[in-house]
Amino acid sequence: MPVTKVLTAGIGEADLRSIGVYRDRGGYRQWERAVREMQPADVLAFADKSGLRGRGGAGFPTGKKWSFLPAKTFPRYLVCNCDEAEPGTFKDHMLLEQAPHLILEGMLIGAYGIASHHAFIYIRGEFKRGYEIFTAALDEARAAGYVGSKLFGTDYDLEVTVHRGAGAYICGEETGMLNSLEGKRGEPRLKPPFPAVEGLYGMPTVVNNVETLAYLVPILERGPEWFAAVGNERSKGYKIVSVSGHVRKPGNYEIPLGTTVREIIELAGGLRPGRRLMAVQPGGGSSACIFEEHLDWPYDYESMTKAGSMLGSGAFVVFDDTTDFVSAAYNLVRFFAHESCGQCTPCREGGSWLERVLERMVRHRGVPGDMEMLARVSSSITGLNLCALGDSIEPFLKSVLQRFRDRFAARIITVEQQPA
Amino acid sequence: MSATLSAAGEQLVTVTIDGIEVRVPKGTLLVEAAKSIAQEIPVYCYHTKLGPAGLCRICMVEIEGMPKLQIACNLSVTDGMIVRTKGPRVDAARATVLELFLVNHPLDCPICDKGGECDLQDYALAYGRGSSDVADPKLAKPKAADLGPTIVLDEERCIVCQRCVRFDDVIARESQLVVKERGARDIIATATGQPYRHNFTGNVTELCPVGALTSKTYRFKSRPWDLDRTQTTCAQCSVGCQQYADMRYGKLLRTMLVEDDPISDGWLCDRGRYNIGFYDSPRRLTQPLYRKNGRLVQIGWDDAFLLWSKAIRQAIATHGPPSVGAIGGGRLTNEEAFLLQHLFRALGVANLDWRAGRQRQATPGRNGATLSALDRCQAIVVAGESPQERAPVFWLRMQKARRANDALIVESSDPQRARREVGDLQRVALVWDGCDLSVGRSFAWSFEGGSDLALFVTGEQNNARGAEAMGMLPGSGPGFAPLARALDGYEMFEAARRGELSVLSIFGANPARNANDPREAAAALSATEFLVVSDLFMTETAEHATLVLPAKGAFEKHGTTANFGGELLPLTPSLQAPDFTLADGEMLDALAEQLGVAVPTYDELHGLVVNAVAKADLDFALGDERFGPDRTPSPRTVKILDGGGTWRNDPTLEGLRS
Repeated sequence: MPVTKVLTAGIGEADLRSIGVYRDRGGYRQWERAVREMQPADVLAFADKSGLRGRGGAGFPTGKKWSFLPAKTFPRYLVCNCDEAEPGTFKDHMLLEQAPHLILEGMLIGAYGIASHHAFIYIRGEFKRGYEIFTAALDEARAAGYVGSKLFGTDYDLEVTVHRGAGAYICGEETGMLNSLEGKRGEPRLKPPFPAVEGLYGMPTVVNNVETLAYLVPILERGPEWFAAVGNERSKGYKIVSVSGHVRKPGNYEIPLGTTVREIIELAGGLRPGRRLMAVQPGGGSSACIFEEHLDWPYDYESMTKAGSMLGSGAFVVFDDTTDFVSAAYNLVRFFAHESCGQCTPCREGGSWLERVLERMVRHRGVPGDMEMLARVSSSITGLNLCALGDSIEPFLKSVLQRFRDRFAARIITVEQQPA
Repeated sequence: MSATLSAAGEQLVTVTIDGIEVRVPKGTLLVEAAKSIAQEIPVYCYHTKLGPAGLCRICMVEIEGMPKLQIACNLSVTDGMIVRTKGPRVDAARATVLELFLVNHPLDCPICDKGGECDLQDYALAYGRGSSDVADPKLAKPKAADLGPTIVLDEERCIVCQRCVRFDDVIARESQLVVKERGARDIIATATGQPYRHNFTGNVTELCPVGALTSKTYRFKSRPWDLDRTQTTCAQCSVGCQQYADMRYGKLLRTMLVEDDPISDGWLCDRGRYNIGFYDSPRRLTQPLYRKNGRLVQIGWDDAFLLWSKAIRQAIATHGPPSVGAIGGGRLTNEEAFLLQHLFRALGVANLDWRAGRQRQATPGRNGATLSALDRCQAIVVAGESPQERAPVFWLRMQKARRANDALIVESSDPQRARREVGDLQRVALVWDGCDLSVGRSFAWSFEGGSDLALFVTGEQNNARGAEAMGMLPGSGPGFAPLARALDGYEMFEAARRGELSVLSIFGANPARNANDPREAAAALSATEFLVVSDLFMTETAEHATLVLPAKGAFEKHGTTANFGGELLPLTPSLQAPDFTLADGEMLDALAEQLGVAVPTYDELHGLVVNAVAKADLDFALGDERFGPDRTPSPRTVKILDGGGTWRNDPTLEGLRS
């Protein structure tokens, strides 16, 4: 399996945090070209033709998302979502700390693509180091004339605002992020209206993931056809996969979409000697597990959906036969219950209830009926929630509950076992 | 199926809800469309006046052609939409949401004030599973969080629908309440941690669909099915909100808003809601008092009327009718105010005035408008004191106009500047406090002509406008019939200080506290030879009286009042007044009998009142000379949550007094 390097090119080899190094490697040339030679519509066409889909989790086609903006409403905003907090995901973190100029250039191009004059980046609160690195990079770029007014001698102005979050997973949800940016409580908004129509400060807004925007730079450089040539029918281009769990070399690996699950595990050094693969969570904490039988399936949006899971943010967690799946399920459910904003009922109450029951099972204090309750409640809250967080509780729990029923059953005290 | 237009010119769409076709204006929310055909869709967070929030998730319905269930509160109906509000999927979703609400809810219905009028109880009964799989302890939260002087919050009962938060933010424009913490641990609190306090806090207890927000004055007092309910008019200010008076065993326990009241728009202020305990105050006057050798002693009513009538007869005989005067009406019913001027004018006494405070004029005359006219105004100009404290619920209406119609609110002491700010906006409301006649004239002059003008004069007393229409003005009889000029309130006090006023009768007014210059008024009162004061309490004015008469309160008597929009509103007695108190009208009746003056029967009186209030062709403007002469009002701002009289004598409101 050859190593792919598009966004990750140069990371670990050169100090891409320095604008000089970044520029020497061709940095900001695509940004200059966009402003000087292209119309926003051209940039949008590039994004559209490349088949680029959102790399943050939902996988929505980027060009299509941009096209939802009403034609004549200004101002409009681009928001770069760098609130990376999906359990198992650490790709944006790396890009932020290692390639801040690449993110910035992608943001600038994206903002130009939607004819915006103000772009925001919302950086996860815990990424303090990344925030400092990005702010320094922005200062350099501003001093170099890449951000500000009358860019490259044209009439185009573009300002960039950096905002650091305060530590809430829910602010990674796009409307929660917009509320938080406005200084409000980070709760997802009721849709409609959608952000494309009424987003940040009530104006049309596009929220894109860090990785999505970063891919705009190579797409502009090498053309949309180059990007679209990789992958399959509807999953084009490349993706950074954050491999973690029971592999020998966990880390970020950039792959062409369609690489098989087995190849990804091998890229990450394979399993530890003598261990057997039990499950893989292929798309972050919100995704269901896939199993041995999916090892040779291609890793792309459609196949993962077909396998009953999703590609999500590309967090690839490998579980071998040492895993306690009850604890794993508890860990994730606790996470979602803890991060629930609490505004809508199913997520707020359901999450905390499931957490309480699983916590008991972890302590080997399950009671008859618990497994049925876990299955029933987790499935009945799905589809009732205001945002996607509440619907994220079920997939992992359900997949391991079905696959490893005996492990859960072992945590239930039957009447005979109860102390007299 | 094609969309057509309604009578109002709105585009209509047809939607089928559970097989029933209904035509509603385009853009109507599904939950409202269902309501219009009495097809219940349960809601918690949604409220007609607060709009959709999408939080509770109970209003899930099935829409043909949509794979997922949809919330009915945020879905605008479209033509041809087919909706099912029942069926296995909808029922399952509702049951799930209700089951989840009860995971942490304490289910302490047997001791909950809301039990019996609780949406959580009602929907759990109608749509819930009836059993629960919860095997673990519930989350513990504060059971009696002291939110502020009026409200206690039970965090465990709270279902976080955020109606209170949204009311506070959108309707009251206070933004004090927020959701704190996250997930299942979230609680309602004030953002700053300071007590929750403003003029409209009580409304959140009615918006609360469960028993989380409760009024301190009503907590643990009753169950709703034990209450007797009467609808009446609030008598605390000149807005005249309709309200329900809820009684148990003859005791007034709470007042509630009337949802579809066109005057209040379905809200109450905290004074209207909470200032009700004074009816039970041990400090109520319950016996006529007569000053003998400098001390007030209890006497019987017969003696009281005898002494009173004798004093009047004697004064007229010795010094003539100008040595007698009467002040009152602004706190009486229309019927009583009519009787008051009828009786004294029959005796030849013309020194009559309702004005004992700073206000000079309460009737706008030409271009006077009813309160709901505010809704169509594009600009609202405030001259003088802001209605925020004087007419709180009217102030809420102003905020609604700002919110709904983007109305411009101009508060300026300079009429020219206000005129410029209004610019060429056509539909203008001018809200004046009626105190300084010259201010009224200059504003009226600035806005006269050209624009569609609606005039409002907020009243100092609840029935100020009614009193004027009944003829409680010197030189103006019922229906503003012109009469010879006599002494107004000020002049009566001046005359009293000169020793020229022998008998002064004051009904429901407290000039020793509220007059333009309370000290001068007090001096005048003590210089009056025979001062009669009718009130509920021993007021500053009553301290000077020769004869103090225990009166009935607004919830204890029958009659009508007129609010400052000129609308005739009924007072329906709900409370039994304390023994030995009389309504002012009853006192006047008895006095008339003593003095041999014939009074109209109740039915006649009602006809006279209706005619006088309904008189439409008022030919005067703001600052008209009939309300003169001009007086410069002393600068003073009265807060709704303090002040004297009833408010001070309500033992349940200790915390609200600043």
